[in-house]
Amino acid sequence: MSAILEVKNIHKSFEGTPIHQGISFNLNENECLGLLGRSGSGKSVLLRSLIGLERIDGGEIYYRGNRIDHLKEEDFFKIRTQISYSFQNGALFDSMNVYENLAYPLREHTEYNENEIKAKISNILQVVKLEDKEHLMPSELSGGMQKRIGLARSLILNPEIILYDEPTAGLDPKNIENIVNIMLELKKANSSSIFVTHDMPAAMEVCDRIVIIGEGKVQFNGTKEEMKQSDNPYIQDFFIMEGKA
Amino acid sequence: MISQTRVSKIEKSFLKLGQITILAIDTFKATFTRPFYYHRMLEQIVEIGIGSALISGTIGFVIGLVMTLQFGHGLASFGGTFYVPSIVSVSLMRELAPILTSLLVAGRIGSGITAELASMNVSQQIDAIRALGTSPIRVLVVPRVVAAFLSLPLLTIFSAFMGLIGGLIISDTEFGIPYGFYINKVLEYLHFYDVLSAMIKSAVFSLIITLVATYRGFNTKEGTRGVGNSTTWVVVTSSIAILISDFFLSKLLIFIFLK
Repeated sequence: MSAILEVKNIHKSFEGTPIHQGISFNLNENECLGLLGRSGSGKSVLLRSLIGLERIDGGEIYYRGNRIDHLKEEDFFKIRTQISYSFQNGALFDSMNVYENLAYPLREHTEYNENEIKAKISNILQVVKLEDKEHLMPSELSGGMQKRIGLARSLILNPEIILYDEPTAGLDPKNIENIVNIMLELKKANSSSIFVTHDMPAAMEVCDRIVIIGEGKVQFNGTKEEMKQSDNPYIQDFFIMEGKA
Repeated sequence: MISQTRVSKIEKSFLKLGQITILAIDTFKATFTRPFYYHRMLEQIVEIGIGSALISGTIGFVIGLVMTLQFGHGLASFGGTFYVPSIVSVSLMRELAPILTSLLVAGRIGSGITAELASMNVSQQIDAIRALGTSPIRVLVVPRVVAAFLSLPLLTIFSAFMGLIGGLIISDTEFGIPYGFYINKVLEYLHFYDVLSAMIKSAVFSLIITLVATYRGFNTKEGTRGVGNSTTWVVVTSSIAILISDFFLSKLLIFIFLK
């Protein structure tokens, strides 16, 4: 499999506190990569760095062989239509209803007319199983629905890579199942993704490969089976802690 | 000897000033390049301009009433009541209308912009705008800056006009100055420079208000508490900046037009 996204030796600190101290991994085409780690290990910061929402201090990021980490903000816009980011809380625009939230990227980046936009929105709402919610405001949606609409918004431009930032966090089992099913459907449709999560069962169900970060470095990078069999004390300790959590 | 904490605060102030300058430059560039968000700009003109018209007019009117009353009684003892129209009109147009309207807008609109953008920031909506391949400066800052830049000078002129009407009413009722005389004196003493000066000042003040407000909105942290702190900071900072810059602008405008 060829790498669609390459992360090489990333360094990042906040006010002198190092978060990442040389993180490297690849995301292959049509692969779902689980990015795990304890709270505060910098998983979300890493995910944000991949599309320039956070600037790295050192290292390199390549998308389809082209270096992107040093791009200017405006040059990242095109990349962000190809690598989409699904926010933990949905990050819906609270002054717009569901329809307008979903129409926003289409109006910004496509030449679709209003009928085509309507059809696209109707399709994507079917994917996230929220067909009848297009006129509701974000405040009228449950947390799970907001995440699904946020996910729908990040999918609507058909990106090559989807970055999921804890999409199942804080949800009840039914909503977790809904999100996991959507992710599995997308995986079948050959999308590549990185899944940041604390939800081990969801990661095991969706991901092909797991990267565990801790103490600023990659502590593990391998398949789910390799992870289960690993005798690395950090990994074993991580599983004990996650199990308790 | 200056303490380390004080040095750090000074450094931070210069850093903020630098960041606001960069925001101003980026906003200027984005104002004249595509894509344009006319619809959002129109919304902001309604919010800032039309939304502030009633209160600006009221303040101008009341100030006109009070100034005329005070100047009239003050000048009466020197037999100078007939100078009231000229004094009131020039001071209203050159100073009071731009300053008071801008301070009002700083309180009403500046705090509103900051609260809105800060809430969007803490709920990651601004990150979402970026993640969807669009620029928060184009989407959020430019419409507000342009709307304020167009609205505030007009609000200022409207406020001054209402002040002149207030002055007209008090001149007649309290001091027996006929309408015709009042209007003649206003037109005689009020020059194009005075109107232009009021518009230039309020246009500059609009930039101060909106850039300070959007800067702070984008840089708000600490959740809802941070939103409250930011709105207070914006009103205080932009009010002080307006008052200080008024002095330098007055000096500059006098140098350009009156020397």
